[in-house]
Amino acid sequence: MNPTMDPAKELMSPGHLACAGCGAAPAMRWALEALGPRTIVVMPACCWSIICGPYPHSALRVPTFHTAFETGAVTAAGIRASLDMQGLQDINVMVWAGDGGTFDIGFQALSAAAERNDDIIFVCYDNEAYMNTGIQRSSATPAGAWTTTTPGGKIRPKKNLVEIMAAHRIPYAATASIAFPDDFISKMTKAKGIKGTRFFHVLATCPTGWRIPSSHTVKLARLAVYSRAFPLYEVEDGERYTITVHPRDLPLRDYLEPQGRFRGLTKDQIEGLQEEVDRTWNRLTRLAGWSS
Amino acid sequence: MQRKSGPDGALPPGSITFSDMSWNRTGSWRYLKPKFVRKFSPCSESCPAGNDVEGFLFLAGEGRYEEALAKILQESPFPGVCGRVCCHPCESACNRRISDDAVSIQGIERFVSQFEPSRPPQPGEPREEKVAVVGSGPAGLSCAYHLRRLGYSVTVFEKEDVLGGMLCLGIPRYRLPRRVLNRDIDRILALGIGLETGRRVGKDMSWDELLAGRDAVFLAIGAHAHVGLKIEGESCQGIMPGTGFLKKVNLGLPAALGRRVAVIGGGNTAMDCARVALRLGSRPVVVYRRTREEMPAIEAEVQEALEEGIEFEWLTSPVRALVDDGRVAGLQCTRNRLADPDDSGRRRPEPVEASEFVLDADTVITAVGEAVDLAVLPHGLKVEKGVVWIDSWGRTSMERIWAGGDSGPDQRMVVHAIGAGKKAALSIHATLRGNDIEGIAEPLRIGSSGSFSMERYLQGEQGGAVPVREVVRPEQINLDYFEHVPRIVQPRRAPSDRVQGFEEVNGGYDKNDADLEAKRCFHCGTCDLCGNCWRFCPDLCIRSGDVPGMNLLDDFHCKGCGICAEECPRSAIVMEREL
Ligand SMILES: Cc1ncc(C[n+]2csc(CCOP(=O)(O)OP(=O)(O)O)c2C)c(N)n1
Ligand SMILES: [Mg+2]
Repeated sequence: MNPTMDPAKELMSPGHLACAGCGAAPAMRWALEALGPRTIVVMPACCWSIICGPYPHSALRVPTFHTAFETGAVTAAGIRASLDMQGLQDINVMVWAGDGGTFDIGFQALSAAAERNDDIIFVCYDNEAYMNTGIQRSSATPAGAWTTTTPGGKIRPKKNLVEIMAAHRIPYAATASIAFPDDFISKMTKAKGIKGTRFFHVLATCPTGWRIPSSHTVKLARLAVYSRAFPLYEVEDGERYTITVHPRDLPLRDYLEPQGRFRGLTKDQIEGLQEEVDRTWNRLTRLAGWSS
Repeated sequence: MQRKSGPDGALPPGSITFSDMSWNRTGSWRYLKPKFVRKFSPCSESCPAGNDVEGFLFLAGEGRYEEALAKILQESPFPGVCGRVCCHPCESACNRRISDDAVSIQGIERFVSQFEPSRPPQPGEPREEKVAVVGSGPAGLSCAYHLRRLGYSVTVFEKEDVLGGMLCLGIPRYRLPRRVLNRDIDRILALGIGLETGRRVGKDMSWDELLAGRDAVFLAIGAHAHVGLKIEGESCQGIMPGTGFLKKVNLGLPAALGRRVAVIGGGNTAMDCARVALRLGSRPVVVYRRTREEMPAIEAEVQEALEEGIEFEWLTSPVRALVDDGRVAGLQCTRNRLADPDDSGRRRPEPVEASEFVLDADTVITAVGEAVDLAVLPHGLKVEKGVVWIDSWGRTSMERIWAGGDSGPDQRMVVHAIGAGKKAALSIHATLRGNDIEGIAEPLRIGSSGSFSMERYLQGEQGGAVPVREVVRPEQINLDYFEHVPRIVQPRRAPSDRVQGFEEVNGGYDKNDADLEAKRCFHCGTCDLCGNCWRFCPDLCIRSGDVPGMNLLDDFHCKGCGICAEECPRSAIVMEREL
C-alpha cells in the first residue's frame, strides 16, 4: 500500500449517505482511484443512488448518470457510443450496480452489452440482497441466508454470474473483495487497459442486511475469501481462469457464524452449504488448472 | 468542490450538481469515536532495563541504526553487552510467538550496538550532590550512568583493578569479547565519572569514610562468596569455585585444571565453566541434580555446550569427593528422580536408592550459586535471606544507602542488574530532590512489571498518539495482516572451530538479516503508518498527521463504524464512547 492518506485527493467526498460501516463505500473509492478522474459513472437504482447524495449534490467528483433499475448496461453503452463519436476514447464508462440491478432486473441489458462487447466496465457491488428497499432476496443471496422475503432462509444457491459472463466470451471478468484492496485495485487497473466489456463482481459487506456490527465489514469479507465462500479470481477471454488470492484452510462455519442472517442454521444445513462451497471451489481449481 | 455549469448554458442547469457532500455532517450519527493511541508492547514491559524495544526495532527496521542505538541508550548503557548475553525476557513475551517465533530482539540490539548513536548520552545540568557507587558491575555502572545523566557527580569504587564486575571477570570472552564490553564501559565513563579501583569498601576503606561528604551511596557489590557443595572431602585440592576459576581465566592467570573436570551445577556459571574447561584442553562433564528442562541456564548456552560435545550427567548429585594424597580423585554420585515441586516451582530432586556410582574426575568445579559477602556490608544494614534487604525502589534499611544487583534480592541476570541500577538512580534522585518517588515514577511506568522509561522522564511525553497504560495482548493483534516469516538464526561458528580458542561464538546478523528480522516486529500498540485505517475507512475520515507515526481523524464526518480499530493490525486504535 502507498498511503498518501489525503482525502482531498480522492474522487469521492465524505458526508455521503451510506450506513456506518458500509462495504460499498470503500469499493467505490478504490474503483475511482484505479480509473482516475476521466471516468463517467452510470448508476441504476440501488443503495448507491442514495449514498451519492440528493440533488444538487453528489459525493462523486466525476460525472454520474443516475438511471433506471434495469438499464445500467445499456445506458453505459449509449454514453460510450456518444463518447466514441466525439473521439473521447480515453474516458472510462463504469456502471455501478447492485446485485439486484445486475443478477436480476439488470441482467438482460448486461447480457446484451456483453454480447456486443460494448466498451464499458460493469461493476456489481454485491451485498447479496435488495438492501436499499429493505433486505429482499435476490438471485445473489446465498443459500441459507435470512432476508425479509426468505424468513426461513433462502433455499437455492447463489447464481454464478462470473461464469455466465465468461460464457459471453468477454475479455475480462473478475471477482474482487473489499477486504483485499491491493487485489481489487490491481484488477481494476488491469481492466482499465483492456477494451471491450469488463465485468467485476465485488463482494461488498452490508452490516445492516447481514446483521453484523459495523466494525466487522472488512473482517467478514475477508472470511468469505479465506473460507472459499467467495474466491478471488479472474477470467480472461472467457477461458483463462486465474485464482488471485490463496484461501486459508477455514471452515465455512467460521464465515457464517458471526452473521445474524445465518443464525438458526442447523449443523446439517451448514454441512450441506460446506459441500456446495467445496464443489464450487473444486470446479474453480480445475478451471484454473490447479487440479485435474 | 464547486462545479460551474456550462459557460454557454449548453447543458440544462437541472442536470448539473453544484457541490459534493462534504457539507454533510455525518459525524453527528456517531456514538463511538476512534482514538489513535499508543499502548505498551509486551517486550518493553518485560524488559527489566525498561528498553523501548518496539521503538528501537522500528528505527532499526527503517535502517536508522544510529537512532535505534540512541533509543536504547536512553534506558540502558549496555547495548553491546545485552545484545550478546542478556537472557532476553522481551523475547519470551513477544506477541509474534502466536504466529511463528519471537523476534530476535537480542540479535537486533547487537547489530545496532556497533554503530555510533545519533545522540550520544549527555551528562545532566550539574548538581551539588555527590553519590558514591560501590561496585562496577552492570548494576553499579547503570546507576552511575543514569545519575550522571541526572546531573549528579558520581564516583565508582571497584575492589578489582578492572571494571565490569561479572561482565569482565565472570563471562568468558567467547560470549562477550572484551572490546565489546569496553566500548559500553567507555561510553559510560565518557559522561565524567570518578573512579577508585583496587580499593575495597568495608575493608581498605570504611563505610563511614565513604559516606562522609556524600549524599547517597549505591551498594552493588555483587555476590562473590563461595557456596560449597557441603559434601565430605570438599576441602581437598582440585576442587575450586566456578567464579574463582572463571576470574582466573579472564585475568589470564593459570587455572591448573586436570584432564577430567566435573562441573557441578546447571546455571550459566556452570555452562561457562564447562565450556572454558573444554577450551583449555580438559574433558568436562556437567553434573546437575535435575533434568535439562529445569536447568536455569539460558537455553542457547546449554544448546551450544551440547554442540561442543560437553557431556552431561542429569539427575545426578555428588555425595562425596574421593581423595587420594590430598587431591580429588573422583566423585561419588547418586542418581536422582524428580518429586513434587519445591518453593522455586521446580521439581525437587530425590536420590534413588542404591544408585551410587563413581564419576571419574581429577578436578571439580562448583557452580551451585554464589552468596553475598555479608562481612563487608556496613554495620547494622538489614539483611534478609542472605542478601541486602531493599524496598521496591532500592532503598536499604539505612538512610543514604541504596542497593541492588546480585547483592540484593533481584534475579541474578545482567539485565535485572541494569534495571536495578537505573531504578536506584531515579530513587536517589527523587530523595535528593525531596520528591516522592512513586509520584515521579507513576507516569513513567511501562505496564505493570515495575519497568519505567527514563526517556520519558528526561524528555517528557513525546507528541503524537495518546498513550494509554495498557499492554497489547496477543489476541488484540490482527494476524490476518502478518505473513508467517520464520525467525532468522544468527550465524555461529562451527563447534569444532570454536572450541579451539576464545573467539566469539555468535557471528551476529549482517545488515540484510538485521533488516529482515527487525521487520518481523508486529509493533504492538504503536502506529507504523501501515495505512489500513485510511485504506478501509468508508467515510474518508483518516489523513496523515503532521507528527510522524500519527494519523488524524476527520471528526466532522466520521460515523464511528469502528472498521479502523478492527483492521488496525497492532491495536493502536481504540473506540471510545462519546456523549
Ligand atoms: C423497476 C424498479 N423496480 C423497483 C425499484 C425499487 N428499487 C430501488 S433500489 C431497489 C433494490 C436494489 O437492490 P440492489 O440492486 O441489490 O442494490 P442495493 O440496494 O442492494 O445496493 C429496488 C427494488 C425501482 N427503482 N425500479
Ligand atoms: Mg444488493
